[in-house]
Amino acid sequence: MALRQVAIYGKGGIGKSTTTQNLTAGLSELGKKIMVVGCDPKADSTRLLLNGLAQKTVLDTLREEGDDIELTDIMKIGFNGIRCVESGGPEPGVGCAGRGIITSITMLENLGAYTDDLDYVFYDVLGDVVCGGFAMPIREGKAKEIYIVASGEMMALYAANNICKGIKKYALKGGVRLGGIICNSRNVDREIELLRAFAKELGSQLIYFVPRNNVVQRAEIRKKTVIDYDPKNSQAGEYRNLARAIEENQMFVIPKPMTQERLEEILVEYGLMDELKDNYQI
Amino acid sequence: MPEFIEQPRYTCALGALQSVVAIKRGVPILHSGPGCGSKIHGFIGQGEGYAGGNTVPCTNAEERDVVFGGEKKLHTLIENSLKVIDGDLYVVMTGCTAAIVGDDIQSVAADFQTEGKPVVWIETGGFKSNNYVSHAQVVNAIIDQYVHKNRTGGGVQKGLVNLFASIPYQDPYWNGNLENLKRILEGLGLRVNVLFGNESGGVEEWKTIPDAQFNIVADAWVGVRIAKHLQIKYGTPYLHFPYIPIGGIETSKFLRAVAEFGGLDKEKTEAYIKAQEEKYYSHIEKLADFMLEFRYGIPNRVYTIADSTYALGFSRFLLNELGIIPGKQFIVDNVSEKNQKKILESFAGISEYKKRDVEVIFDPDAGAAAPQIEAEAKKYPDKRFLILGSGWDKHLANKIKADLLIISPPVTYRLVMNCGYAGYEGGLRAIEDIYDRVLATYR
Repeated sequence: MALRQVAIYGKGGIGKSTTTQNLTAGLSELGKKIMVVGCDPKADSTRLLLNGLAQKTVLDTLREEGDDIELTDIMKIGFNGIRCVESGGPEPGVGCAGRGIITSITMLENLGAYTDDLDYVFYDVLGDVVCGGFAMPIREGKAKEIYIVASGEMMALYAANNICKGIKKYALKGGVRLGGIICNSRNVDREIELLRAFAKELGSQLIYFVPRNNVVQRAEIRKKTVIDYDPKNSQAGEYRNLARAIEENQMFVIPKPMTQERLEEILVEYGLMDELKDNYQI
Repeated sequence: MPEFIEQPRYTCALGALQSVVAIKRGVPILHSGPGCGSKIHGFIGQGEGYAGGNTVPCTNAEERDVVFGGEKKLHTLIENSLKVIDGDLYVVMTGCTAAIVGDDIQSVAADFQTEGKPVVWIETGGFKSNNYVSHAQVVNAIIDQYVHKNRTGGGVQKGLVNLFASIPYQDPYWNGNLENLKRILEGLGLRVNVLFGNESGGVEEWKTIPDAQFNIVADAWVGVRIAKHLQIKYGTPYLHFPYIPIGGIETSKFLRAVAEFGGLDKEKTEAYIKAQEEKYYSHIEKLADFMLEFRYGIPNRVYTIADSTYALGFSRFLLNELGIIPGKQFIVDNVSEKNQKKILESFAGISEYKKRDVEVIFDPDAGAAAPQIEAEAKKYPDKRFLILGSGWDKHLANKIKADLLIISPPVTYRLVMNCGYAGYEGGLRAIEDIYDRVLATYR
C-alpha cells in the first residue's frame, strides 16, 4: 500500500499530540509501519511513544552539529517500532519557528527518512496554521490527508474552521484533502451532535468521537499512551477504533470553510440555545 | 505602484548604510544576509570610505539565525567590531531576514549604549522603504540615540546651520555638492554643519546639531523629514529650498532665501552674491563663441530620468541659463502624492518669462521611461537632445543620438571624485560636462 502522509491540526491544547500518539499506537498494533514527526517547538509530540522527552530535536542537532548529521541522530524508535522525530524550534519569543519546521522537514527528506516500508507518516502540527511554516506539512508532495482535532467548545471550532481555510487554499492547487474531524470530547452538552453538524457543514465527517476518560491523564503522567499503559482499558479500545476508522477511511474532501456568521448559527443551534433554556429552567 | 520595476534607480532601506559610511569614522554594522551590503555597495558605493565596502561588519545571517534568532550573534559582532574597528560612531542596521524574524536589536544595542559606547540601532529591513526614506530615518536615529545624549554646545548658536542636501552615495556627486554648498554658505558668514563627507567635522560636528540657529533643506523631500524632526525635538526652524541650486540664477536665489530666513546682513549678502556672479558670468561669456558657432547642433531639449531634487534643479538651470527646454521629466524617487503636488507646483514656476507646461511623470520604474523618450524624440527629427539619467540610459542615448549626463546611480560610465553640480562652481562644471560630451562627437 502507498505511504499515507497525515497531518493533524487543531487548536492549541485540544489534545493533538495525545490523540496522535494514542492513534498511532493503535495503528502500530494493526501492523502498520509509522513515523511521527512532531512539528511543535515544544517538542512534546512523541513523549508518550518514547516514554519520555529524551529526544534530541532536528533543529537542536542542526544548531549544534551543523547539517552533516545522520538520521539516527534525530530519529528514535518508540512504542511498537514507531519512528519518532521532533522538529523542535527556538525558545519562545525569538527566531522563526515556522522556518524551523520547513528546515527540519527538508532535512528529513534529505536524510532519507521517508523509506518505502512506511505505511504512515504523521505530522503533529502546532496550534493554528499561522504562517507558511506551519503549512509546510500540507504543501505539495507532503501530507495528503488532514484530520482536525476539535471539541464542542466554541474556540476549538473557530480554530478548526480557520484551519480549513488553510487546507482549502492548498487543496485547490494540490492534492491535500480533509479526512475528517476527530472529536476529543470535553463533555460539552450535545457535543457529538454539534460536531456532526459542524463536520457536515464543512462537507466532511466526524470520523470518530473519543470520549473523555481520566485514564488518558494517568497514562500521560507515566509517559505512556493508554494502549501502552493499560491495554485492556475501554479507552484503549476507543483509540484502536479510531485507528481502524482512519485506516478504513474513504472520505477525503476539499473542505468548505464557513463564514463566521454561519459558524455562530450552528453554535447557537447546538450549544447556546440549550444554555439559555437551562437558565430559564433555573 | 507598478507590478514590477525594471530599473529602480535607488536601493532598499538598508542602502542607508552608505549614509553611515559617509560620516567620518562612522561604521555601519549589518545584521543581514552576506550579500546585502555588497549589493548596495555595488550599486551606489564609491570606494571603501573609512569603513565601507568590504570592511562593513556583518552577521552574515544564515538559516540557523532565522530559526533561532540572531541576537546573540549580533551581540558578539558588535562587541568585536568595537574592538577591531576604530570608529567614532557605530550604527547597527537590520536586513530583511532579521527584521522579519523580529530580532530585538534594540535591546542588543542597548547593552552597549548603557556602557556609554557610541552605538545606534535602526530597523532597515529592505522591504520597509527605500534608501531615500531610510536615510532620513538613520539621521534621526543618530540624533535621538547619540547626539541628544552627547550634545556639546550650550544652546542655540547664532550663525550655526545644519545643511541637509545631497544624500550620500545615492547622489553620486554628494561630496562635491556638499562642499560647494558649504563654501557659499560660509561666504554669507554662516558656520555650516554638512555632517557627511570631507567638509564635515565628523561626530563632533553632529553633536552640535541641536544648537543650530536654523536648518537648511536643499532637496525635494527627504531632508524635510529630518528638519521636521529637529523642529519638534529642539524647536529649530528650517528653510526648505526644494531642489539643488545649480548655476548663477538659482544659487543667488538660494543664498538670498537663506540670508532672509536667517536674518543676515543684506548688504554683505548682496556684495558676496555680486562677487560670485561676476566670476561666474565671466566664464559664461567664454561660452558665447562656441554656442553661436558650433555647426553640428547643440542640444536644445532635455529629457530627465532622475530624482525630484535633481530634476527640478537641472531643468531650471538648463532652461534659464542654457536655453535647453525641458521635455518629459521622469521622476523616479518614488515620491508620495503629497510631495508630487509640491514638485509639480515648483515645475510650474520654472520660468519667470513664460508659462511652461513641463510634462512630469512620477514613476519609480525608470525602465518605463526609455520607450517614451524614444517615441517623443521622433517628433523632433531636427533637434539634438540631452538626457540626464544614469549609466543605464547609455543605450537610449546612443539610439536617439542624445548627449548623456549621468546624474543618478548606477553611474557605471563615469569616474566621480570631487565633482559637484551645486552652486556657482557646480553650474560651470555642469556646463563643461554637458558641452564636453557635445564636442566629443565633433569629427
